[in-house]
Amino acid sequence: MFLTQEEERMLDGDYGPGIQKSTELLVKLGEAFDAKRLVPAQSAHIHCATSLDLLLELTEGATQCRVITTTHPNPYPDVLDPIGCKRIGLPENYDIYEFIHGGPWRQIEDIFKRLGYLLTYTCVPFLVGNLPKPGDVISWGGTSGAVTATSMFGACGSRDSVPANIATSVTGRAPYIGMAIKQNRYAQVLVELDRLDLGNFTNADYGALGYYIGEKTGSKNVVINGLPKTLSLEQFRYLVSPMPVSGATNICHVVGVTPEAWTLAQALGGSRPEEVITVGKDQIKEAVDKLTTAHSGEVDLVRLGCPHCSIIELKDIASLLDGKRVHPNVRLFVATAKQIYVLAEAMGYVDIIKQSGGVFTNTCVGSQDPFNFIGPELGIETVATNSARSAHYSARTSRGKIKLLYGSTAQCIDSAITGKWRAIR
Amino acid sequence: MKLKGHKINGGRVEGEAIVCNDAFSFVGDFDPTTGNCLIKRPELEGKSLIDKILVCPTGKGSSRGPLNAYRAMKVKKSPKAIVCTQAEPVLAAAAIVANMPMVDRLDKNPLEVIKTGDWVKVNGDNGLVEVIHPGNQSLQPK
Repeated sequence: MFLTQEEERMLDGDYGPGIQKSTELLVKLGEAFDAKRLVPAQSAHIHCATSLDLLLELTEGATQCRVITTTHPNPYPDVLDPIGCKRIGLPENYDIYEFIHGGPWRQIEDIFKRLGYLLTYTCVPFLVGNLPKPGDVISWGGTSGAVTATSMFGACGSRDSVPANIATSVTGRAPYIGMAIKQNRYAQVLVELDRLDLGNFTNADYGALGYYIGEKTGSKNVVINGLPKTLSLEQFRYLVSPMPVSGATNICHVVGVTPEAWTLAQALGGSRPEEVITVGKDQIKEAVDKLTTAHSGEVDLVRLGCPHCSIIELKDIASLLDGKRVHPNVRLFVATAKQIYVLAEAMGYVDIIKQSGGVFTNTCVGSQDPFNFIGPELGIETVATNSARSAHYSARTSRGKIKLLYGSTAQCIDSAITGKWRAIR
Repeated sequence: MKLKGHKINGGRVEGEAIVCNDAFSFVGDFDPTTGNCLIKRPELEGKSLIDKILVCPTGKGSSRGPLNAYRAMKVKKSPKAIVCTQAEPVLAAAAIVANMPMVDRLDKNPLEVIKTGDWVKVNGDNGLVEVIHPGNQSLQPK
């Protein structure tokens, strides 16, 4: 592999053992996938559930990260709303990653601070200041952020691992593989939509569409033809976030929205698609049925914010809840970034949601949601969510103990108020 | 039998093969505290992967996979090497951080020619994999 003089020095240990080890990791990874060189990276995003030993090895002697680096959701679920979290049964000092990894979190956080990682604790780095522009090479943990940044902002984020994310943050380099290479970004599978009522499409419909597509296309690049050019950031996130969960999607072009897909031909790089998939109402229903594992219509917990809610979503939730009360048998758990929470506070949304009985968190409410693990002990059996990601992961990490209901934000909030899952959109 | 492949991570080891026919993740398919396989198939569930040569088609799943492999390596409970059909970046990173030689893109499909229990030599440096069937007990180190 070709290395610049600077990269040779990094590999020789001139910048300390951490940079050396990190460069070595990136070079080995690059060589494994036939990379000709490393490329400068612009952004990293780091999972908090790391290994202290490995973090020490990869960062020893490094004083600051070389690219903007943000951190993934908080290992402690009760930081935003300790009183609320206690009320709904979360044990004090409950640490989802200590539980899973046996890792000494405070030491890890100290290293993050020393390196200048921005302690954003969210899975939506692009909403809190880590916003890549088209062509930026990013190394992000958390597949929803990476697929959104790559598909909506034109960034180059590939399937990546926690050690590589850390190595890129301290070296400012990434292997020249995957999405960083233009040729690898063109769509392979074309998705056509068949008579879907897009005017009344809910966020859950977008999620089901993405979930279906991910499962059918695996690691192939996707282009969807026929969605409105006015697609909002929220709709886009619901669409693409489940794709790397049911599949292993790196990029999903939406014609007219994705910066490199103003036309279908542009998304396909002038070639014909390898495969064409058509999605109609039956396919959306198939995905919703797969995500629904509950038979009872009694709801114990309503979970929103996987990925973390934007300010617009918090506004919607507040307007649905305004003046109403969450049913005494139901817990309403809303995840967002602290930075978004502060804005929602200023707008009065936080007061409305809290006064209705909602509880805030900035932890993960998907694969690592604390209720996936301790829910059954607290009598939580049935969880309603508007997130296909969260539904998919929750059914699995709870090993089937948590049963899922999947529907729109409006349907979820209705169930939080009534305690019943009712067919409303 | 000798197979010629492609280097993912260097190093030379030998050991007993364990074949997993599905894409593998060190999160979900592996317990780093015991070194046991968690895949719900009778031939794999509860089987130890410690010091084994893991043979699988590719990687999948959580970006935290390499952390589990590293953690197992620290307590000597990781596999010894990985032989796979086609590597992907998360499984490759697991091999690199946990010092497991790893080879992919072999001239024969390893899932077809390697059987669980075979004694296998893996040379990650030049991408060579040598399969010695369990019938040849004399070749296995005592």
